[in-house]
Amino acid sequence: MNASRLNAKSKPGIPVAVIDIGSSSIRMEIAELAADGHVNSLESLQHPVDLGKDTFTLGRIDAATIEECAKILRGFRRIMGEYGITDERSIRAVATSSVREASNREAFLNRILIAAHIRVEIIDEAEVNRLTYIAIRDNLERQGALDDSDTLAIEVGGGSTEVLLMQEGLVTQSRTYRLGALRMREMLGINRTPAHRVVPMLGRHIQRTVDQMKWALREADIKRLIVLGGDVRLAAQELVKTGNDNERLAPVSLSKFKKFASSMASISVDDLVRQHRLSYQEAETVGPALLAYARMADAFNMDQLWIAGITLRDGMLLEMATGGSWTDHFKAQVLHSARALGRKYQYEEKHATHVARLSSLFFAELQDEHDLDPRYELLLRIAAQLHEIGLFVANQSHHKHSMYLIMHSDLFGLSKADTTLVAVTARYHRRAVPRATHTEYTSLPQDQRLVISKLAAILRVADALDQNHNQQFQNIGFLREKDRLVILVRGVEDMTLERVALKQKSEMFEEVYGMKVELRKDSGRGRIADHG
Amino acid sequence: MAKPREAKKKKLGPHAFINRELSWLEFNRRVLEEARDPSVPLLERLKFLAITGSNLDEFFMVRVGGLQLMRAEGRSQRDASGLTPTQQMERISRYARRMVADQYTCLITELEPALHEARIRRVHMDDLDAEQAAHVDRLFEELFFPVLTPRAIDPDKPFPHLAALTIHLAVRLAHQPDQESETRMAVIPMPGNLARFVTVPIEDGYEYVLLEDVIQAYAERLFPGEIIEELCVFRITRNADMRVREDEAPDLMAGMEDILEERLTSPCVRLEIGPGASNAMIEYLERAFNVEASHVMLAPGPLDLKAYMSIATMAGFDEYKCEPWPPQLRPDLAAPESMFDILSSRNVLLYHPYDSFEPVMRLLDEAADDPGVLAIKQILYRTSSQSPIVAALARAAQKGKHVTALVELKARFDEARNIEWAKALETAGVQVVYGVRGFKTHAKVCLIIRREASGIRRYLHFGTGNYNESTARLYTDISYMMCDEDYGADAATFFNTITGYAQAVQYRKIEAAPLGLRARLLEGIENEIERCNQGQKAHIMAKVNSLVDPTLIKALYRASQAGVRVDLNVRGICCLRPGVPGLSEHIRVVSIVDRFLEHPRIVYFKHGDDPLYYISSADWMSRNLDKRIELLVPVEDPAAQQRLREILETCFKDNVKSWELTSDGHYERSAQRGKQKRVRSQEVFYERARQTVKEMEQHQRTLFKPHLPSG
Repeated sequence: MNASRLNAKSKPGIPVAVIDIGSSSIRMEIAELAADGHVNSLESLQHPVDLGKDTFTLGRIDAATIEECAKILRGFRRIMGEYGITDERSIRAVATSSVREASNREAFLNRILIAAHIRVEIIDEAEVNRLTYIAIRDNLERQGALDDSDTLAIEVGGGSTEVLLMQEGLVTQSRTYRLGALRMREMLGINRTPAHRVVPMLGRHIQRTVDQMKWALREADIKRLIVLGGDVRLAAQELVKTGNDNERLAPVSLSKFKKFASSMASISVDDLVRQHRLSYQEAETVGPALLAYARMADAFNMDQLWIAGITLRDGMLLEMATGGSWTDHFKAQVLHSARALGRKYQYEEKHATHVARLSSLFFAELQDEHDLDPRYELLLRIAAQLHEIGLFVANQSHHKHSMYLIMHSDLFGLSKADTTLVAVTARYHRRAVPRATHTEYTSLPQDQRLVISKLAAILRVADALDQNHNQQFQNIGFLREKDRLVILVRGVEDMTLERVALKQKSEMFEEVYGMKVELRKDSGRGRIADHG
Repeated sequence: MAKPREAKKKKLGPHAFINRELSWLEFNRRVLEEARDPSVPLLERLKFLAITGSNLDEFFMVRVGGLQLMRAEGRSQRDASGLTPTQQMERISRYARRMVADQYTCLITELEPALHEARIRRVHMDDLDAEQAAHVDRLFEELFFPVLTPRAIDPDKPFPHLAALTIHLAVRLAHQPDQESETRMAVIPMPGNLARFVTVPIEDGYEYVLLEDVIQAYAERLFPGEIIEELCVFRITRNADMRVREDEAPDLMAGMEDILEERLTSPCVRLEIGPGASNAMIEYLERAFNVEASHVMLAPGPLDLKAYMSIATMAGFDEYKCEPWPPQLRPDLAAPESMFDILSSRNVLLYHPYDSFEPVMRLLDEAADDPGVLAIKQILYRTSSQSPIVAALARAAQKGKHVTALVELKARFDEARNIEWAKALETAGVQVVYGVRGFKTHAKVCLIIRREASGIRRYLHFGTGNYNESTARLYTDISYMMCDEDYGADAATFFNTITGYAQAVQYRKIEAAPLGLRARLLEGIENEIERCNQGQKAHIMAKVNSLVDPTLIKALYRASQAGVRVDLNVRGICCLRPGVPGLSEHIRVVSIVDRFLEHPRIVYFKHGDDPLYYISSADWMSRNLDKRIELLVPVEDPAAQQRLREILETCFKDNVKSWELTSDGHYERSAQRGKQKRVRSQEVFYERARQTVKEMEQHQRTLFKPHLPSG
């Protein structure tokens, strides 16, 4: 945060803006991204809004609230202009549960686009978690606190609670619970409850979620609890005396935290606004949220918790700083999630991993033909990794079982849209090619359907090459001959079975890529992709 | 002073506080003393007298007006010093009468003879020589007569509405035998566009006739065929303590215009009548304006002393004026080096008007033209209509920069002027924000966002005075300029808050009223108390214009009781009573009244070995801390800290133009004691500024700089 005064870097930083439309406030961070990936914050703005209150009680956003948001974002847009931020690529605006769950979210997005010229992207819990994780990991790394111990990161938001379990530096579980600070207030009618009954009442309600969490995490050995969110940042202002902006994670003893939490929960909203200089929106969530954190820390026998001044916006900025591409670490994380899922459904890991590897060879070979972004290579690999997990349910129609198992699993790091893409690609690893009657496919936008065809075509061919499930095609190469793609194979004597399989499964490939596929023993003319 | 009554508050009784109105009158008396001081140059004395007149006008309009309103509403709550509004009015009236008497003694028996000696002479109509008389006659016929509008008073109709603070001539016309009516009255307002002092030709020196004398002498020509029985001059003052009711006026600009109109018709709080009026005339005017006898002031000389400012400042007569102290421009802050380059290498603290305001102006000028500048944000309050700052902002907007000006329309008495240029800025494409709902914006800050090779940089100016080049020559104020990330982020947040873009968050460095400024000051005071209790040395120094806020005063009393040394330099109102054993014996309060108006707010806490220095826009008044947007800016740069320390220490050493507040609420001139050196702080500051420039120039002369190709 504190770059030195005369830090004459040769390359100018790029000013960018990220906006997070949450349930009780809209926040914007203006920052400069240096060429080395360093993020330098220039301005932080927040403006309270009643989005959560509207959505969680009415199910929709009130027209007056939409106008209020439009007004706020128009102001934000002006501030961006003051830093010369006009390029769409320098702006990312996201909205979370309070917009996502609103029945009139489309109207909201349109209004904001028209009034403030800001394109807001609705993101799901998975994406929120992914972005938050990027920021947590970055901070742990910078504070030298990244280790292998099981770490739990929790954020109690207005509408839901996000829980991430990190083991050996990788996320092994990520879940969303419907416990939200604002939801609690609306559901339990806290505004009409006498102060002395508020804390016990909230406690009972929170405990139900805590019990679910404990069960889900029963096998973890949690050593560290990180708590995040706007409410926690308020607590940090009172509890943490730190002069170092870079230390965004600070430990606080649980007893101190608990005391503060119950004091905040038992003060009326009006008094909180007066005494602690909070907005009404902040005052309404701070008590329930802090109590929830305290209960969770208790449940996992922590004697301290780590307060994180880390936000979704930090993750967005870090991602922009790396140019939006997925880092190797991130790829490893996603593959790890996929393997964990596969094991859960007792898949044949060797076969799956081999098909994934072959798929990625095809992907590289066909780059000119499919012309897809490198991120799809990862999605293809994951689809390949998981294509057979449906066997866990039944042999018959297992491709369909694979699809819905993937679709309804948390693949940490992947957004809902990406997960769907993986799931539908996996479905087409065998049998029917995409048809108008396949609703999961037809409900996708045209460009996504095309991507699936390109990926599934490869997956089918790659799967055919390991028809035997014996991974005998270790070394393959490619050769182009007029209208065909020749797969050169070394060190395999009998390829009859694979040839039969390929004949059945390359039909889609021919349709998509306009090439026939042929298996041929290598005679030394082709390029051999050597993977030792 | 106050009658003993049941102590309502904890320990501090009303005796602990000095009444703010009386303290204000005490301040005006100190200014008047400058007018009466023979060691002060003659025209400078006249200027001080004019200032006391102007001050008193404002005092009646706002303070007396406010008290009168309270009484009219039947409110009788006592102030911190235990006085009811009625009691305050009585004392004010007594004090003010004495002051008016002193003002005229000063004018008539002290200044006018000396001015006469200096060949600056008032001539009465009867004493004009032939040439002069002919000149005045021509003036009357050609210039005055066409613009004079006598108004007859119809006894059956309400008294006509008269403008406040304008001199009027009351005319009693004789009963005419052929008509049935009785004595008739008429009033003639002195037209605002005519000079009060009518210059008459003279070979050597300067002679003038008062405009009202001319009109009186020619009054018959305005009432042909009638007999004038009596003529006298008078002037009324109206209550100006009108608050814009923002809740009812969604458009502040429209609301403000309404107020200006309302101010024209609000009740009369003072009636001044010139010399020679008959009792009948006095009674008539009292009835006409519905004022109590206690609000009538009979002046033994010309009304509206403020007008003498134009004589005090007229060209020539330099031997009767102060030796000029031109603002000094340090060579290291002069062009061609750009202010951006200067500020990116170091912080700059200036003490105006000893230090020139030019670098501040230049920063804005350069910002307006610099292609790298993306945005300028600025608070404007009491700036002048031809202000180069306003011009620079307009120019920047025309060049496509994002310019935001927060224009405070609630600047007292300047509203009409403000509205005019605010509209002009809007036309130029500046985003003009008219203040903050419910608060008056008093903070002085300017933020410039510039895109440079290394990325975004933010340049800041924090000040204790308004962005007004003309007052910058008369007021002493601090400017603190820098290029700093933390302060830049704070200033950005501050602007986002006051323009309504975002909600206030914690600042990194600065503090703002109404949210946290008082708390930060109290924290500073409490810390000194705590250090003192733990046996450390503790010291507080502050320089402000007014000290009224009871919370801060009580904290300072606690500090004194704990043994903390507290040195206060309070130019104007001070409700704290120093030197009372057991309450405030460690507090010293001094006030400096000299040729420049003391205006900066500087605060110092010893804070062990790590002193804290702040500059601020805020006076220590409840009004400023609760109802205004103000800033408290820590000064961390060591050189700037050193400069502030020198300023504070020099002020407390002044024994020429300094006054010391005694425990009975009066002020005594500080005097050189024993072997003390003579210290006139303003002179010291001027000499020091000059010396600095001289040394720098000498140093530069030994250093040659080649002209390098630009770029």
